[in-house]
Amino acid sequence: MDYAWDFSSLLTNGTMLLIGLRNTLALWLTSLLLGFFFGGFVGAARYARNRFLNWPASAFIEVFRNTPVLVQIMWFFFAFPILSPLDIDAFTAAALALTLNTTAFAAEIYRGGIQSIHKGQWEAGQALGMSYSQQMTRIILPQAIRRMIPAFMNRAVELMKMTALASTVAYGELMYQAKTISTISFNPIEMYTGVGLIFFVMIFPIALFVQRLERRLRSQADT
Amino acid sequence: MSETMGNTEVLKTADLKKRFAELEVLKGIDLTVDKGEVVVVLGASGSGKSTLLRCLNFMDLPTSGRIIFDGKPVGAIQSDKVIYSEKELIGLRRHIGMVFQHFNLFPHMTIAENVMEGPKTVLKLNRAECEKRAMNHLEKVGMTEKARAYPSQLSGGQQQRVAIARALVMEPLVMLFDEATSALDPELVGEVLDTMKAFAEEGMTMLIVTHELGFAYTVADRVLFLSAGKIIEQGAPEAVLLRPRREETRNFLRCHGSFRLPEPEV
Repeated sequence: MDYAWDFSSLLTNGTMLLIGLRNTLALWLTSLLLGFFFGGFVGAARYARNRFLNWPASAFIEVFRNTPVLVQIMWFFFAFPILSPLDIDAFTAAALALTLNTTAFAAEIYRGGIQSIHKGQWEAGQALGMSYSQQMTRIILPQAIRRMIPAFMNRAVELMKMTALASTVAYGELMYQAKTISTISFNPIEMYTGVGLIFFVMIFPIALFVQRLERRLRSQADT
Repeated sequence: MSETMGNTEVLKTADLKKRFAELEVLKGIDLTVDKGEVVVVLGASGSGKSTLLRCLNFMDLPTSGRIIFDGKPVGAIQSDKVIYSEKELIGLRRHIGMVFQHFNLFPHMTIAENVMEGPKTVLKLNRAECEKRAMNHLEKVGMTEKARAYPSQLSGGQQQRVAIARALVMEPLVMLFDEATSALDPELVGEVLDTMKAFAEEGMTMLIVTHELGFAYTVADRVLFLSAGKIIEQGAPEAVLLRPRREETRNFLRCHGSFRLPEPEV
């Protein structure tokens, strides 16, 4: 193997890659914020005793957790516009799929976090004369959210990786831009290596941070 | 009944029953607790002691029967059933303090914040007033020095003393103790019992579920013995503990062989 690496083509196509990076971050942030937001409601519905809330929420969560994300994106791009009156572009389809997927996982994180708090904590609040919402906001959530943070950050990392799948519906994020550039300038090796590096640089610090956070939370739990 | 009688009765139950699915845990409890009275509830595990306490502050709702709190019947009767509104129960609980077997302090708050939480969130007192009340009650249980510590930094006995302060800071009309020393290492039991005893002597109305017979003997005004969801024997501690009339009570006392009478004071 005596391949002569030439990364200069990355710089000459810098603008296209930057657009890709911007689009990747736009898709990531949109799905992340909306998914974590709606996940709270779906999680609450899943946790509710009312069957009419509980059952649809469970069904939603199971469908999105047990089908491939790629299928979800393709479905929203190709099938959804035919079934609905809406006209949908690549970003909307990808964002819709990734948001709903994140919603499903976030709902489980919220539910798991809240259920991990011992019922004695609810009872202590109740015995003081607190209402349900006071118990939730003053006693349960402050403890549960700390336990949820590592899980949410792991989810954010996973979501960042998933955004690359939006290239399959021709959304101009990093992966799609790399593919486009490499077919024009015949440099797939440098292009995909470069894109891999860009993802690594964005994700690795978050992963390191989560590891340290988890270690700290665990040692706190021991004391 | 005369008006004056009603004023001295803090808590009264009439034919109180509680059923969990197939299991009837309380089979008709008639109980009266007067102001300033210290009542100890004894009974083997599964006799319904804890359920009784949990019904009294409505953490478990009674299946039937009535609870009269501070002279007022709780709940409203609708077609032969007592209906409880959540709002009424929330309002009631602030007047009923509860201390749990496993302390249940809030681990994300300091000791001072734990004690301030009720006055702040439930009574909606201003910050200065909350702090004053909290420090006052921490002093009573001897925990002023740990005000800035977190529950995880305290021993079980210290945590339970804080839990007592957290309940008392609400200035309840009655205190319920649900096996407050059962989860403690033996050497830590004494400090918690001493704290409870001090409040009993101050005239606090208390209903105490415990296995500490020595404590029951010295502190209680009245001892109840619960068996299979019924009060089968009650009276002054000397009577119930030294001359039990019922076989179940005698068996129970025999199993708690470590109980010795305190030395007569000279």
